[in-house]
Amino acid sequence: MSEKNTFKVRKSWDTAILALLLAVWVLASFTTDNFLSSINVSQIFSNSSEIMIMGFAMVFLIITGEIDLSIASILALSSAMLGWSYAAGAPIWLSILIAMAVGTACGFVNGFLVTKLGLGSLAVTIGALALYRGIANGILGTETVNEFPEFWTTWGFDTIGTTFIPQTLPVIIIFGLFFGLLLHNTAFGRRTLAIGQSPEAARFAGINVTRHKIIVFTFTGFMSGVAGVIYTFRFSTAQADNGIGLELLVISACLLGGVSIFGGVGTMWGVVAGVLLASSVESWLTLQEINAQWRTIVTGILLLISVAAPVLVDKYKRARATAANKG
Amino acid sequence: MASLFKKRVFGREASLGVILIFSIGITGFINPRFVTGDGTRDLLSATAIVALLAIGMAPVMIMRHIDLSIASTVGFSAWLVADFCAKNPSFTWVQCFLIGGAVGIAVGVINGLLVAGLRLPSLVVTLGTLYIVRGGVYVVSNSVDYNAQEMPPSLLSLGQRTFAGLLPFPFLMVLILMVIVGWYMKYTKAGRDCYAIGSNPPAADLVGLKVFRRTFLAYIFCGFIAGISGVFYLMRFAQVDSTAFYGQELAVVAAAVIGGIGLLGGAGTAVGVVIGALLVQTIQGALAALGVDAFWKSAINGLLLIVAIYADRILARRTEKALLAQRIKERV
Repeated sequence: MSEKNTFKVRKSWDTAILALLLAVWVLASFTTDNFLSSINVSQIFSNSSEIMIMGFAMVFLIITGEIDLSIASILALSSAMLGWSYAAGAPIWLSILIAMAVGTACGFVNGFLVTKLGLGSLAVTIGALALYRGIANGILGTETVNEFPEFWTTWGFDTIGTTFIPQTLPVIIIFGLFFGLLLHNTAFGRRTLAIGQSPEAARFAGINVTRHKIIVFTFTGFMSGVAGVIYTFRFSTAQADNGIGLELLVISACLLGGVSIFGGVGTMWGVVAGVLLASSVESWLTLQEINAQWRTIVTGILLLISVAAPVLVDKYKRARATAANKG
Repeated sequence: MASLFKKRVFGREASLGVILIFSIGITGFINPRFVTGDGTRDLLSATAIVALLAIGMAPVMIMRHIDLSIASTVGFSAWLVADFCAKNPSFTWVQCFLIGGAVGIAVGVINGLLVAGLRLPSLVVTLGTLYIVRGGVYVVSNSVDYNAQEMPPSLLSLGQRTFAGLLPFPFLMVLILMVIVGWYMKYTKAGRDCYAIGSNPPAADLVGLKVFRRTFLAYIFCGFIAGISGVFYLMRFAQVDSTAFYGQELAVVAAAVIGGIGLLGGAGTAVGVVIGALLVQTIQGALAALGVDAFWKSAINGLLLIVAIYADRILARRTEKALLAQRIKERV
């Protein structure tokens, strides 16, 4: 009973987050002059592009009950590979392919360690976090590569024509549609949710849980590779400490968007709302000229709210139900 | 069964110890300075903070929880202590430890209430407090740094003191804490409860163990040690800024896991954890002696951690099999 209730609360959570997002937008546009100005909206989108891209794949992973803390390190490693191979004379298209391939390979390795060797994903990806970041460090050292073809760096940070739409946004939307449809409209998505609800039952229902999880880990690695490419071009730099700490932002955005850390529950639009909420609040704080350092605290509080709120709402509802029964 | 359990636990520390001596031997062979008095003192004082934190985290991890906020707490405590000392030149090391401990306990209470009270997943909660506490350092510090001249001389001289020619003061504290925690976890009811809770949390609830109290107190202890470690941070580095000890929580988790505390809880000892921390530091020293670029340090740490987790997994499987075989034999 109680589990069902929590489940229900979690299900309606993404709607609540969407409402909260709209509320933030309304509040922010009243309290600041240029929150909804085209430059600022464009900033909100482009600042959250890597988080969004990694979030698309991370949803699947968290729904299956696993986690990957190494995504930001994969981002750094693919960014380092992009810079290193381009500086070594490879054509840019090849470097981009290498970067994405490295990301995919890292994701596959994580999946292999977790499923085939049966190691806990939390522990292993903490190790992988240090490992991949360390390899990026080993390859680039303190060097930075910032000579990239203008075509690509323009793509990274410029907008389409005179509109506010960042040039990277169409790519993000395509990925979002792909993963959204994959989660909500295909057998693959149903299987993901089934595994999260009960891995045992999923296995007895004939789902190849091991293979499924490896695929999801590999997706996450691939998307982190893509995020690495976009990050590199957005800032026109490849260096080893690119995107440090981003994994926590991605996870908190997912949880904020109603994905349950216990697995089995989550929607794609909830995650999109979660990412945009975090990035909008950040932008709002910046425009209010609130010390940038408060953002770290706000992220932490949002994360705590996202796990505590469903539990508290459920407790409150149950207490009310018992009171009603007695009365 | 009891003897088998004992054998496994003892076996773990013994084999870790052998690996440690072996790696110290190899490192000493490549770089003779490593095994001299100076080298030993360096090794011990470099290990002290991580070892302290890993001992503090041991009860939490034994109960199948985790505390990722410790590194932020170390930074917060170190900065606040330095700030208080800069404003009150009369402070000595006593006040430093009082302030540091209080800061740590405050963070521990928050974590404990959320994890033990509301039963929220500890990973997410402490990830949240990691942010909040680090954000707190950023906000209060306002980019102000402190150096040795603002710190009480009594604190810095305490950090310099060595015992028996080899034992730096911080590491002496590690040893004392190791003995206390090791004894407590092994011989008191509360300590045994922790192992029981970690082995099977739902069962611990059903048999009526005080899960809330044990978990809550473990988080307070962990926070307290993190706060104290902030003072040891000042002792060692004699300077602090808002990014002090950033991201080091993973090094602590690594030391604990390598030292035999499984992430699934219910196993591990304080002695193992200290050996684990020493081992990580020794291997770093060995790599430096071999002339491996410092840039690869983190990669090798990560690889070590993954190997340790894998070794742990194999050991656990073997024990499981042995237990099963024994049970079958007893039936027959």
